[in-house]
Amino acid sequence: MTHETFRVVRRGVGMSIQDAGRPGLARFGIPPSGVMDDHAAAWANRLLDNPPVAPVVEILMQGTHLEVLRTCWIAITGADARCNFPRWRIVRAHAGEGLVFPLLQKGLWTYVAVEGGFSTPCWLGSASVYPRGRIGRALGDGDVLHVGTEHQLSLPPPVAGRLVSNDEIRDYQHPPAIRLWRGPQWDLFPREDRSSFFQQTWSVSAQSDRVGYRLEGGHLSSEVKQIISEPVLVGSVQVPPGGQPIVTMRDGPTVGGYPKIGLVDPADLSWLAQCRPGVPFQFRLADQPASSPD
Amino acid sequence: MTGLDARTAELKLSRMMQWVPYGPHALLLRFAEGVGEEAFQRSRAIQAELDRHPPTGLVEYVPGFTTMLLRFSPENTVNVEELGRSLAGQFERLAHGKAPEAQLKQIPVVYDGDDLESLAEEKNLPVDELIRLHSEPTYKVYLLGFSPGFPYLGELHPRLHAPRRASPRTRVPAGSVAIGGEHTGIYSVDSPGGWRIIGRTPVKLFDPDQLAVQQSPKDLFFLIPGDRVRFVPTKG
Repeated sequence: MTHETFRVVRRGVGMSIQDAGRPGLARFGIPPSGVMDDHAAAWANRLLDNPPVAPVVEILMQGTHLEVLRTCWIAITGADARCNFPRWRIVRAHAGEGLVFPLLQKGLWTYVAVEGGFSTPCWLGSASVYPRGRIGRALGDGDVLHVGTEHQLSLPPPVAGRLVSNDEIRDYQHPPAIRLWRGPQWDLFPREDRSSFFQQTWSVSAQSDRVGYRLEGGHLSSEVKQIISEPVLVGSVQVPPGGQPIVTMRDGPTVGGYPKIGLVDPADLSWLAQCRPGVPFQFRLADQPASSPD
Repeated sequence: MTGLDARTAELKLSRMMQWVPYGPHALLLRFAEGVGEEAFQRSRAIQAELDRHPPTGLVEYVPGFTTMLLRFSPENTVNVEELGRSLAGQFERLAHGKAPEAQLKQIPVVYDGDDLESLAEEKNLPVDELIRLHSEPTYKVYLLGFSPGFPYLGELHPRLHAPRRASPRTRVPAGSVAIGGEHTGIYSVDSPGGWRIIGRTPVKLFDPDQLAVQQSPKDLFFLIPGDRVRFVPTKG
């Protein structure tokens, strides 16, 4: 038994259901998918006593309008899109109210979690949609989101005061230096590339999505030739001809023929995910047994 | 083979089983320098070994043409350097053995793709000859990628190697048989794509409608890495 809980009035730039994704199927050509910012999504769920990997609504940028169909506790975390509800704390949403995200200020991805969790179809162990591979579809205008009753919790009375502590709320305008591991083709890149990669200031291009983030600000040698296609991990920094790096994101291809200079540390990928175009950031070499960039 | 030749072959082999760390929890094993029967056999032997005796903490393996990605669980504190060394040794010994027999699967193809005639013209080949060159070989499924269940097949006759389209099509229907670079493949879902389309097959390589029914991924895909494939020309 489920309850109709939200209606999508306007989907805005884009929105979909995501959870921890379905890692482990890359050899069938299926990328892991899952939330772009697992830090923010996990906090939204934790505020509501949901499992941290429960399905959430992931909203890209702005323009989204949700109508509340049934009064419930919700939590909103992630990007600041001037939502009319406070973020990073538990809030009561009343039937008939609207939840709007009119104008993106900071970050890129906003998460909405609901008490009891969304009741959504599951494919190969995950509710994450991957429209490009015809696994589910993104949310559109008029879609109705359900919440299951079987997991209905009676949240304890002091729940109204629950919020995320300030030091866990990230400032997406000022990301820390993003840790990078050497990629499989690190040695193919000229010495100047390997050092300038860490000295340059980068930003994310507007042509970025769940598949990949293009990096702007500097560029690397375009002389490094293509390689025989090989498996690609999420977070890989690939350098196509032209020297403008692309970071493979959660819906990105599982194989590729561009040389990879590095791999973003899995723990830092959520920071990169929330970098909106124009926000400057740098990389630093992740600690490795045989360390020091040369 | 003389004694010296055998030793040279041995040295060459051990040089071929290389590996590099790929972040904190993965490594990329390189088992061949080029694509071909030897690389295919070696890949299949390694996959069979990983299925039989998965190393502790292995989450998944992903075959490439000449490489194998091994991804380990972050919870298992593994030293990828040590793992790389021991696995490379283990797989090198394997390379002398025989991989299990590959499955041969037939795929009927109607050769009437939108790029068939222009490609034939470009290659200075009669259309019939192009079809013959494409449907003659037994192909190897080296890997699945690009979209769920999309097979990268080799070896394509060198005369049919063709660059991708300068501007990709926004929608290529599932079942389209196409050529991209040195490979041929089959679109597994409706998707954008830049490969040159020469035909179509009714075989469903990946059926999203079965997602709700099938729980095992292996049952969702008509082809999996390690299979062999023949195209059977049919009338539309």
